Amino acid sequence: MTDLEQMLKRQAQWQKSRQFLTWPEKIRLAERVRESVKQLRAQPRPIMAGPPER
Amino acid sequence: MQRVGVIRDYALFGATAQMRYTEPVATLDADVLVAVASADRIDVLGGIYEFCAAKGYRPEGEAIRVGAWPTQFLPAFSPLTQEAMEQAEIADFEGVALRVVRADHLAVIALSVGRAKDLTRILALLESGSVSRDAIKSLAARHDLADAWQRFENRFLND
Repeated sequence: MTDLEQMLKRQAQWQKSRQFLTWPEKIRLAERVRESVKQLRAQPRPIMAGPPER
Repeated sequence: MQRVGVIRDYALFGATAQMRYTEPVATLDADVLVAVASADRIDVLGGIYEFCAAKGYRPEGEAIRVGAWPTQFLPAFSPLTQEAMEQAEIADFEGVALRVVRADHLAVIALSVGRAKDLTRILALLESGSVSRDAIKSLAARHDLADAWQRFENRFLND
């Protein structure tokens, strides 16, 4: 297994382990995630280059 | 709201209810099914908005901010959502007893809505072991969603 595969596996295991937190703990985590998402959305988006012209 | 007669019944559903069973998921608001006391009003949710305004909870888009959460109140709009609300479980949230829609109803409501994030919810609930394929199949069939469930199984679960 490559380093990347191991890292992804560990990440998936960590993510799954969150299932066993209590419901209020999970809601509090979601609150923090939501605040981060809102901050990201509030940032101006970089102007993306369009597809190359043919 | 229930005590003072603004609503007859309620239950949390959507992502906040899903998190009772699965890992935490990103969501921007909390969804609450409600049965309003005066369903004959044109603005069905008017009583809720008035009650919340009196408590200092302000509208925010299509929701009302209650504490940290923009909260969307949705009238139980179908036999499925009505049943989900009536058969909701009582869950403890830091000492407060809240009515929360059961996993099987969450899955079948998600099936009925059918957006990508709803289909992901069904998979997450199945993976958590909180609901079985048979339970979803049976509930879906009772609510005329047998075909939708068959398509979901074929697309995501059958090899």
